[in-house]
Formats: sequence, structure tokens, C-alpha cells
Amino acid sequence: MSEALLRASSLVKRFGAVMASDGLNLEVYPGEIHALIGPNGAGKTTAVAQLSGEMCPDAGSVQFDGRDVTRLSADARARAGLARSFQITSLFLGFTAEDNVAMAIQAHQGHSFRFWGNAREDETLRDPARAVLARVGLDGRGDVPAANLAHGEQRQLELAMALATEPKLLLLDEPMAGMGHDESQCMVELLAGLKGQLAILLVEHDMDVVFSLADRITVLVYGRSIASGAPEDIRANADVRDAYLGADA
Amino acid sequence: MVDPRNLTRRQAVHLAALAIALLLPAVALGLDKPFFVTLASRMLIYGLAAASLDLILGFGGMVSFGHAAFFGVGGYTVGILFAHGFDGSAFLGLFPGGDNALIVWPMAMLVSGLLALVIGAVSLRTGGVYFIMITLAFAQMLYYFFVSLETYGGDDGLSMYGRSRLPGLDLSDDATFYYVCLALLLVFLWLGRRLVASRFGMVIAGVRENERRMVALGFPVYRYKLACFAIAGAVAGLAGALAANQTEFVSPGLMHWTKSGEIMVMVIMGGMGTLVGPVFGAAVFLLLEEVLSKWTEHWMIVLGPLLILIVLFAKRGLYGWLAGRGKTS
Amino acid sequence: MTALLVLEQVLNGLQLGVMLFLLAAGLTLIFGIMDMINLAHGSLYMVGAFVAATVAQWTGSFMLGLLAALPAAAAVGMAVETIALRTLYQRNHLDQVLATFGLILFFNELVRIIWGPRAIFMDVPEALSGTIEIVPGAPYPAFRLAIIAVGIAVAVFLYFLISRTRIGMLIRAGASNREMVGALGVDVKLLFTLVFGLGAALAGLAGAMAGPIFAVEVGMGEGVLILTFVVIVIGGIGSVRGALVGALLVGLVDTLGRAFLPTLLRFVADPATADGVGASVASMSIYILMAAVLVWRPRGLFPAHG
Repeated sequence: MSEALLRASSLVKRFGAVMASDGLNLEVYPGEIHALIGPNGAGKTTAVAQLSGEMCPDAGSVQFDGRDVTRLSADARARAGLARSFQITSLFLGFTAEDNVAMAIQAHQGHSFRFWGNAREDETLRDPARAVLARVGLDGRGDVPAANLAHGEQRQLELAMALATEPKLLLLDEPMAGMGHDESQCMVELLAGLKGQLAILLVEHDMDVVFSLADRITVLVYGRSIASGAPEDIRANADVRDAYLGADA
Repeated sequence: MVDPRNLTRRQAVHLAALAIALLLPAVALGLDKPFFVTLASRMLIYGLAAASLDLILGFGGMVSFGHAAFFGVGGYTVGILFAHGFDGSAFLGLFPGGDNALIVWPMAMLVSGLLALVIGAVSLRTGGVYFIMITLAFAQMLYYFFVSLETYGGDDGLSMYGRSRLPGLDLSDDATFYYVCLALLLVFLWLGRRLVASRFGMVIAGVRENERRMVALGFPVYRYKLACFAIAGAVAGLAGALAANQTEFVSPGLMHWTKSGEIMVMVIMGGMGTLVGPVFGAAVFLLLEEVLSKWTEHWMIVLGPLLILIVLFAKRGLYGWLAGRGKTS
Repeated sequence: MTALLVLEQVLNGLQLGVMLFLLAAGLTLIFGIMDMINLAHGSLYMVGAFVAATVAQWTGSFMLGLLAALPAAAAVGMAVETIALRTLYQRNHLDQVLATFGLILFFNELVRIIWGPRAIFMDVPEALSGTIEIVPGAPYPAFRLAIIAVGIAVAVFLYFLISRTRIGMLIRAGASNREMVGALGVDVKLLFTLVFGLGAALAGLAGAMAGPIFAVEVGMGEGVLILTFVVIVIGGIGSVRGALVGALLVGLVDTLGRAFLPTLLRFVADPATADGVGASVASMSIYILMAAVLVWRPRGLFPAHG
């Protein structure tokens, strides 16, 4: 088995008396889609924040691509290949869809201390941006201001921006939040198509999506992982059934 | 060349303003009202200062309430070097004084820019309410510092006996000085436009729109904000140098926090995030100040509530109202 | 430079610190709970001073002046809050800065119209016009000691208010998470107005006590406002404890710096340079302190939000 691309070891995060993360362990391997599930209040958001670098754990460590990134800032982790999308859409609403992706491309390319040259006419930024838009199914929508996109399209744009930075690992926080059934299906196909190209840590509530996409699943309850493994094993796991899936799984 | 029939509203406004600006001295002198040339020069100078603040405030989203510090320091650089040149001494025993604009004005930009780099380096580690208070505090620190500087006039200020020298031009002629200010303003507006449209400008705009996103994309945001802050400071320094020249006098009042507030009002009045808008804002503000102060010495009591109303209702500013909604940055 | 001189300056520093604390305590709560930057806080200080001076002149009693200043400042503060500031809570910081800047201009001019442009002078109250020898051979103005005493009393009062009463609990909760307080069904608007009123009263108190020491004039609020900002930045937004520590630090550093830096520099430079450089550096000392604290703790020493 190859080395884990992302490893969280014994993460602890306290908010006053609340243990949002209670010795959390998590491993994501290259190329796999790994789903992180758990009931509300299980600490998924806190886990994502600590993995992406927005929050510093009180104890424990995060390893990414062989390096200890526990103290590394969020932007440094992004440059190292850890991209993320947000649960609550976080776009540049005043810009067009293509502008949004071009910004991500620019982030990846660097060279942002250029004070001359019109960035909007820079083909080295715009061409790849259009390509990524097409990849997520938004071709033709490039000139629409992000604020005017439909909710589902905005979620697609969220994904596009994360993909545009050519990450090694994609941290997706409920990418299908607020999407209707058909839109979700498109997204699922898109994500399935990414399998093998990069690792994906998918935080998700929809069990159908989870079981259709995930190579492995980790179940989070009260800030710690109570089970981690292949979907069939998780489905069969008694603890998981009690805590989360209930009788209908 | 632009076809008059296809002019956008924005271009028409620009052209009209440019025409007025170019013809103003001739008209004013023709009407034997040289005062208007002086007033117009002030408008250009403060317009430059306001445009520089717009770069960090309107485009960068950084609410700096201490911008006048860079304005004042630029003025003092010119004033101090002039004083030393006048009596043949050297500043700190090292830098010879002088009045050569080609040396002294860039020096003003350099000093202000470096100061902005230092102040920005500390202030930009914070955000929100902290940032506003810190920039205000540092500006006031400089105010008190210059007040305590007895050698250079302290609270009374420092007089310059003449303006800087530009080879081939007589800056003591108000009309000539006016055109030099206009030329510099136009050059910086043009450079500013290019900056805003560049990759760097994209980053600054992105930071303003959604800083969290920029961080998640991998931008080391602090560096860009700092660079922007320093550039804006340097340009404000040039405006300060021109201001010193215009009145042939510098005083700590140039960097008082109320001056920062006034420049900010000019930006808002004119239209944030447009670079050109603040120039209009400066013109209107100074005009209002002239007109209202003739009417009543208590005109400030009008400006106060007026400001509040503008903030609450007129966010697009004068320029937005005149030129219409154009392409966003 | 005798030990007695040092003691005198330390007491002066404490006195300045205590006055800054009165201003900073209210302001930091407003920042912390309402996330609102209020530049006009200095104007409430000014109102307190002017009302106290005027009433003291009419009645001949400093006490009456002081007692009038508190409700006057609180009333003006709450009026301004309900009329002008409520709409600003939801707005971004820039709007708040501009609007409260407008308020300062308005108040300064209003005061200038009502009281004229000249400074008013307030006499130190008879009972406190002497000196007290706290250490034998070291007389110190009784009035200044009284200010320090009042400041300590207010600090103790605030401590009990905030940590022992229900309203104090709401204030603490609001400072660390204002949305939650609203969600708990508390009348947030009323809470805000009361907090504002409390802050305003404290500012008015500071203004009234400052009257006999500093001149009562238009624009007196702004200088002290900036110092208050420095205190809050150092202490941490939302924290009254931070305001106290910050205020005492700032008061002491500023006073001791101004008093002794020029003298200390005379050891290494000639008197003229020492005095000049000393005065300049002393005027910058608290800002350097602020910068130093920020480099170490960007959110201040005791930030309420953590």
C-alpha cells in the first residue's frame, strides 16, 4: 500500500468545554476518493478547518505529501497541492466565472507581481481557465458574473476553482450542498471522472452519493473516527449503524 | 481616434473633464481671477492623494485612516531638503539639501514609500477594526513627532522660500505649476489603470472581494497587500511634495488624522474603486469647502451630517452618478 | 532625578492611565459586542467636560458638575446610538468610520457654536485643592490622587458588574459571540443601547475629571481618542481587563517617557540634542509600544475573541 498523502494524527481541538476534535485520525491515499461522514456536530467542519490550515489544532499533527504541515499556513498548504472548496459558496461574486477560474490559475502559476500587462487579456491565464470551465460543465457560461449564476452552477464553479490549481488532494466540503437531484448527479459523474487523477477527501451527508463514489469511508462521531474502511465494511459495521446510519442502511 | 458618435458616457465625462482642466488657467487668467488657478491646483494635488488612497481603499479594501501621514511626510521631505539647500547645510549631516524637483520629488516618493512599507508591515498583520485604529495611531504618531521637531518648525511649520526647480520650467508661475500637477496626475492615473488591470491588480481586487478564498487558492496575501500599501504611500508622498510646493509651506497639519479623514471623504464622495472618481471627489470637496466657508464659518456642521447621509445613501459617489455603471475592476 | 521625582511621575502616569481606562473600557466593549468602530467616543468625553465645566461655573460646585456630566454624556450617547448609530451595526467598518467621523465634525462644531471657540477653565474643587503626603516629604496633588481612587473604584465596579451580575454575563457573552446572544432571545437592541450608555457615562466621567487638569476645549476628544485606540489595541478588543492593563501601560510609558527620556539621553549626548531627540522619541513611545505588542500578539494582550 502506498504512503498516505494526507495523514491527520490524534488531532485535538477544544472550544471551551467542547471537544470538537478528540484524537482524530484520518488517512487519505493518492488517487482515492475518501468520504468523511458523521452526524451533525460530529466535528467535520472543525476537521476540515484543521486539515486546510484555517485552524490550528491544540494537539496532534497533520502530514501532507511527506511533510509536517501542522504549523503551515493555509495558503502555503494550498501551494503545496492541497486545494479546497467551501461548503458555503465562496466565490468572487463581482467577477465573471472565467475571471474566477483565471484567478485560481494565476494562483497556481505565480508571477503575480506583474504590474504591467492586462491580466484579462492574458491567454496563458484565460485558455486554461476556459478549459477548466469546460471540464466542470460550465463552458459557455464564462462571461456570466458569478453572482448571476444559478446555485448549482456556483457549486460547479467552486469545484472548478479548486481544480484549476492542479492539486494533489482536493478537500471538498459538501460540494452538492443545496443542489437538486439532477445537478447532484452531474456533480457525482464529474467527481467519479476524477478518480485516480487526484485524491479527494469528500465531506458529505448524502449516503447514496457517498456509497456510489467513495473508495473508503471514515465515520466521525464526537470528534473521533469510530470506523474507517471500505464502504461494505462501513455499511456492515454495528457501531456505525447505531451512531449514524440507523436501520435503513 | 475616438469617434464622437460612439462615445460611451464614461468617455464623454473624461473628455469633458480633461477639456475643462486644460482650458481652466487660460479662462481664469482671462477673467482676472488667478485664485481659481490656485484652487484648481489644490484640486489636482488632493485628487492625486485621493486616487492613491483609492488604490488601497477602493481596490484593496484596506480601510487605512492614516494615509495623510504619507502625504505629510512627502511634503516634509521637500520642505526639509529645501531648508537645507537654502542654508547650505546637510540633513543629518549626510544628505545635501536642494530644490531640484527631479531629485527632491522622487525622494519624497521614496521616503513616503519606505515609511508606508514599515507601517504597513506592522499594521497589515491585523485586520478589521484593529487595522483602522492602528493606521490612525501611526499617523498621529508622526504628527506628534513632527510637532516635536523644533528644528524644522515644530507646530508652526516650515516655510519654503520658493518652489522646487524643474529644468526648463518656471514653477513659481502658477499656471505652469498647474500644468505640471495636471501632467503628473494624468500620468499616475494612467499608470494606476494599468496597475489595476495587471496580474497584481487582480490579486488586490481578489483580496478585497474575498480574502478567505484568495488564501485558500494559495496566494500569500500579506505580501500583495503590503506592496499595494507601499505604492499608495509613495504616490501620496508625491502629492505631498506638490502640496508643499503649492503653498511653499509645510506643517504637521498635513498629516493630522482629520486630513486623513478628509482625503477619505474625497474618495467616497467621488466614487471608490475607480481611481478617477476620487479626483472628482477632491474637486467637489474643495469647492464645497470654499463656497461653504464663505457662507458660514460653521460650515463643518453641515459637512458632518452630509457625510453620514452620503455613507448611508450615495455609495457610488459622484463619478458613478455622472459616468454611469461601467465595467467593474 | 530623585526617587521622589520618579514616584511623582509614576503617580502621574497612573492618573493618566486611569483616565484612559475610563474611556477604553466603554469603547472596547462597544467594539467587542457591536463590532462597531466609533470615532465619536471622544466627543462624549468632550460633552462630559463641557457640561461639568458649565454646571460647575453656575453652581460653584465641582461635585454638581461631575454629577451632571454623567447623565448628560450617557443621554447624549444613547440618543446618538438610537438615532444615528443603529443603522451602522450591520454596515461595514468603512461606513462606520466615515459616519462617526461625520459625527465628530458635527459635535465639534455644535460645541463651538454653543460655547464658543475659546477654552473654558475649570477649577479644582476646594476640598481637593491641596496636596497629600502619601510618602513623607512627597506632597502630591490631592485631586490627582482622587482621580486615581475613582479609577480604581470604577475598575472594581466594572469587575463586579461584568463577572457577578446577569447583565455582565450578557456583556461577556456578547463580546465573544454576539450572534449567540441574539439567538438566546435577549433583547439585543436594548443591551447595545445600555452598553453604549455605560460607555458614554464613563467617557463623560473622564471628561469631567479631566476638566481641571487639561483645558476644556473643542477638539479635546480627538487627542485622547487616539490614545484610547492605542490602549484598546494593546489590551485586546472586547476585554475590560485588557483595557485596564493597556491603559496603565500606556499611561506609565507615556508619562515616564516624557519625563525622563530627555534626562536619560543626556548621559550619551549633549543637552540640546538629548532634549530634542528625547522629546521626539517620548512622543512616539506609546506607538512603538503598540507596534511591539502587535508583533508579538497581533490581537492584543487579552483578546476577548481568542
